[in-house]
Amino acid sequence: MSGSEEEPRIGVFVCHCGHNIAGTVNVEEVAQMASKLPGVVFATDEMFMCSDAGQVLIKDKIAEHNLNRVVVASCSPRMHEPTFRRVVEEAGLNRYLFDQVNLREHVSWCHMREPEKATEKAKDLVRMSVARAAKLQNLPVKKVSVLPTTMVVGGGIAGLRASLDIAERGFDVLLIEKTSKLGGNVAKWTHLFPTDESGADIIKPLIRDVKKHNRITILTDSKVSEFDGYIGNFGVTVKNLKTQKEQRYEVGTVIVTTGFEPFKPFGYYSYGESPDILTLAELQELTPSEQLLKPSDGKPVKKMVFIGCVGSRLPGVKGHEHCSRHCCSATAKAAADLRDSVEEVLVLYQDIRTYGKGHEEFHRMARQKHVIYSKFPQNEFPQVTVKKGKLTITWRDVLAAEDLSFEPDIIVLATAMIPPEDVEETSHLFSLTRSGDGFFNPEHIKLAPLTTHTAGVMIAGAAQAAKNASEAVIDASGAAAKAVGLMAQGEVEIESTVSHVIPELCSSCHTCLTACPYTAISMDETKDPPVAFVTEAKCHGCGTCAAACPSSAIVMYHSTDDQILTMVEAFLCPAPEAQGGS
Amino acid sequence: MTKKASSALVVGGGVAGMQAALDIANQGFKVYLVERSPSIGGRMAMLDKTFPTLDCSACILTPKLSEVSRHPNIQLMTLSEVGSVTGSAGDFKVKIRRKARYVREDLCSGCGDCEANCPVEVANEFDQGIGFRKAIYALFPQATPHIYTVDKENCTDCGRCVKVCERNAIDMNMKDKFVTLDVGTIIVATGFELFDITQYPRLGYGQYPNVIHAMEFERLINAAGPTHGHLVRLSDGKKPKSIGFIQCVGARDVQKGVPYCSRVCCMYSIKNAVMALEHDPQAEVWVYYADIRAFGKGFEEFYEMAKSRFGVRFVRGRVAEVMEGKASHDLVVKVEDTVTSKVRLIEHDLVVISPGVIPSSGMDTMAKKLGIDQTDDGYIEISHSFFGPTVTKIPGVFVCGCADGPKDIPDSVSAGSAAAMKATIILSSGGK
Repeated sequence: MSGSEEEPRIGVFVCHCGHNIAGTVNVEEVAQMASKLPGVVFATDEMFMCSDAGQVLIKDKIAEHNLNRVVVASCSPRMHEPTFRRVVEEAGLNRYLFDQVNLREHVSWCHMREPEKATEKAKDLVRMSVARAAKLQNLPVKKVSVLPTTMVVGGGIAGLRASLDIAERGFDVLLIEKTSKLGGNVAKWTHLFPTDESGADIIKPLIRDVKKHNRITILTDSKVSEFDGYIGNFGVTVKNLKTQKEQRYEVGTVIVTTGFEPFKPFGYYSYGESPDILTLAELQELTPSEQLLKPSDGKPVKKMVFIGCVGSRLPGVKGHEHCSRHCCSATAKAAADLRDSVEEVLVLYQDIRTYGKGHEEFHRMARQKHVIYSKFPQNEFPQVTVKKGKLTITWRDVLAAEDLSFEPDIIVLATAMIPPEDVEETSHLFSLTRSGDGFFNPEHIKLAPLTTHTAGVMIAGAAQAAKNASEAVIDASGAAAKAVGLMAQGEVEIESTVSHVIPELCSSCHTCLTACPYTAISMDETKDPPVAFVTEAKCHGCGTCAAACPSSAIVMYHSTDDQILTMVEAFLCPAPEAQGGS
Repeated sequence: MTKKASSALVVGGGVAGMQAALDIANQGFKVYLVERSPSIGGRMAMLDKTFPTLDCSACILTPKLSEVSRHPNIQLMTLSEVGSVTGSAGDFKVKIRRKARYVREDLCSGCGDCEANCPVEVANEFDQGIGFRKAIYALFPQATPHIYTVDKENCTDCGRCVKVCERNAIDMNMKDKFVTLDVGTIIVATGFELFDITQYPRLGYGQYPNVIHAMEFERLINAAGPTHGHLVRLSDGKKPKSIGFIQCVGARDVQKGVPYCSRVCCMYSIKNAVMALEHDPQAEVWVYYADIRAFGKGFEEFYEMAKSRFGVRFVRGRVAEVMEGKASHDLVVKVEDTVTSKVRLIEHDLVVISPGVIPSSGMDTMAKKLGIDQTDDGYIEISHSFFGPTVTKIPGVFVCGCADGPKDIPDSVSAGSAAAMKATIILSSGGK
C-alpha cells in the first residue's frame, strides 16, 4: 500500500450533467467551497465530466497541479466510476486514488424542488468525499485466469445455439439439460413463425451439429447441484437425475438458458373442464394432420376461438403482469394456417402486438383469410361455459359495442410465458436476481442485456424475459460472444475493494463465515488455531464480514474504518475553511 | 496458404455497431469502426431518457463511447464512408473514403476556442434543426472523438478559428483521403432513419409550428438540447398544458409502403408522455394509438404505470386530422375513439407525431457494394430467422441493429454481440 503516503493534493471536479445537476444544485458554489477545503489544490465545475473534454480536463489538471487524489462530484458511480478510474490511471495515478460523489441520483433528482437545501447537501457530500480522498490508498490491480470452457445450462434452442457458436470458435462446452432430450419447447411446436417450418425442422439440424461437435460434452437428465468459485474458475457439481450420481467439473464461464414454461391456466376460461379447451402450446404439440381434430371426440374442428393474453398483462397479479411477447404473432400464424381447414376462426384480443419482422404480415394474412379479430374490454374478460361437453363463449366486442356469443368446437388459450418451476433454485445457484416477470435480471436492461451481476455468468433467450425463438437465437450468439470474450483474453481483472483478515487479530470465531453472503470466506486450517481468510475473486466488497467481526480483524480495502470515520467527522465538524472562515 | 486478415470492419457507430466492435475487439482481434458522421453514438446519443427505466440515454451511453474510443484494438474512422468492396470471407479489401474534417485529429484537443469564435450559425442537425450550431462544431457535448469539424458548406472562410487555435489544428486545405483495409469480415450496422411525416399533410407537420415529431421532442426535453431541457412550444415559447402523441405515422401503413410495425414508437411515446408529465405534472397528456405494443421486458409494467400512476390518457383511434387556430397556433385533433365509437375533437397546445422507422439513406448503395440482398421494405435480408438472424447472403458479411429491421436498444445490443460472435468464428478459422 505504498505510493500514497505523500501530502494529499486533491482535485475536485463538479459536474453539471447538463441541466440534470446544475438545474437544481448551485454547482459553482459547490466547487468554490471545495477549493477551500484542506488538501484541495484545484476545484472547478464543468458541463459534462464524462465527456472527452471532461476527461481530458482531469488529466491536464493532474499534470498541471501535480494532483495525487481526484474527486468527481457527478452521477452514480455505477456507470462512470470505471470511466474516471481509467482516466486517473492514464494520468499515472493508482485507480483507487479516485472518489466519486453522487450529486445526481442522491441530490438533484431527489431534491428537485428544494435547490438551496440540495446545494447544502451537495456541499456536505463533497466535503466528506474530500476528507476520505485524503486517506485513500493505492491498491493493486489483480487478475485471475479464465478456464477455456463454458457451461451452458439448458438445451433448448438458445442453449444449442450458444454451445455451437462457442465450439465453432474453438472453446469447450459443457451442455447440461435436465430432461432426457435436447430441443426444449421449440422442438415440440408445429407452427413456428415467421418461417413456415415446424419446430422439429429447426431443432433437428441444431441437435445433429451439437452432437457431432467434439468440443461439446452433452449431459442430459442432469442438473447442476452445486456451483461455487468465481469468474474464470467456477466449480460445478452436476447430478444425473436418473442415477443420482454426481460429478465435478471446472469451467471458466456460464451461460444460463433455462427458458420458460407455458402457463397452465387453471382458473381461467374453464381450462381443465373440457379437453377441447387447450393452450396454444398444447395446440402446437398436437400431431400435425390435414384437418384439425377435436381432442374430445376426434371429429373435425369447424369453429374455433383463440383468446389472447391469458395469464399475461394482469396488473396486480404477481408474475403475470408482463406481456408474453410471442403470443400475438404465434396466434396470428397458427390462426392463418388453420383457417385453411377450419371454417370459422376467431381471435379475441386486447391489443395486437405483431411487432417483429414479418409478423404484421401474418396478422394481415390472417385477416385476408377471414380470421375474425374481435377486441374485448380490458377489464371485462370473455366468459366460457362448458355444458355437456359443449363450449359457449360470450364476450363484449369493443369496436362493435355489442355482446356476442359463439359456440366453438375448440378454444385455444394463448397463455403466458412463465419461468420454469425450478427457477428459484437456479437463481440461488448462480446468485441471479429476478424481476417482476419472474425471469432473470440482466446486468443492465438497456445496454447489458446478456450479462448478469454475477461476473462470468451470462443469460440468454427466455431465461431473461418472454421472447420468441428467433430472438432467443440472437441472444444465444450474443451471450456466446460474451463468454468467448472472457476466455479469449485468458485472464480478467478483479476488484481490489475486497475484505482482508488480519490473521494476528482473528479469534477463530467463524462469525464472518456465516455472515458472508458469497461464501468468500473460509478457514485456513493449517494455522493453529485456524484463521479466516478471504478468496478475493469471490468477495463482492459488501463489508458484512467487517461489520460482524467482533475482533475488528477484518479490513475493507477502500472503505477502511479510518476512511469512513473521517467522512463522519467531516460531516459533523466541518473544517473552518469549509464554512468560509479560516 | 495465403495470409488471411485477422481484422474486422464494422460499418456504423451506433449502439449496435459499437457493441459489435467491442465484442470482437475483446477477443483480441483488430476492428475498424467506420462512421459517416463526425462522432460515434448514433441515434441513442440524441435521445433524452430511455424506456422502461427512464435512464438518461447519454449517461448510460457515454461509458460505451469512451470504452470504444480507448480500446487498443479498435480504430475509429469517423466522417468516413465505405467505397468499393472486393474479395471474400477471410479476405475482403474495402476502400474507405475519409472525408476532410479540416481539423487535424492528432492536434485538436477539443478545447472549443474555435467554436466560440466562429461567427456562422446554422441549424443543428443533431437537434433536428431546432437549435443552432457553428460552422465549426462538435456534434454533441460527449462527441467521440472529441474533435471539431468544419462544415465547409456553411463556412465563410473568415479565418477566425484558424487564428485562435493554439495548437494550429485547423487546416482548411485538407483533402479527402482514401485508404484500403484488409479485413476478414464485415458487419453492417447502419441503423435507421425516421419516416418523412410530411407525407401525411393532414397531420400538419411542417405547416403548423406546434406539430413536432418525437425526435424533436427528445431534443426539446434534453438538458443538452436547444432549450436546455425546457419543454416549450416552438411558436411562442409557452409551456404546453395539453399534449397529444400520435402513433403509427409511417408505420403499419400499406399505402405508404411501410406495412411493418416500427417496434419502438409505442414505448418511446409512452416514455415521452411520462416525461412530459414529469416536466409539468399539471399537464394533460393524450396518446392516440392503434394497438399498444408494450412487448419487451418491463414494458407492459411501464405502460400500466403511465396509465395508473401518471394518468396518461390513451385513446384508441387513428387520428383523422390535426387543425390549427390561425392566431393562437393551438391545435385540435380529430379522432374517432374506436372504443366508444365517438368522433372527438380534442384541443392541444402541442402535438407530437411518432414517425415510423425506415432503412437508413444509402442502404441501397451499401447493399449493392456488398452484394447482399434487401427485403421489400429495404432492410438487409437475413439468411434465416433461426439459423442465421445476423447472417447475410454473402459469407463473412453480417448484419445487426436496425439495418435488418426496427429494433429497440437492448435488441440492437444483443444483435451486435451476436454478429460479433459470427464474425469472430470467421476470423478464428481464417475465413472458413
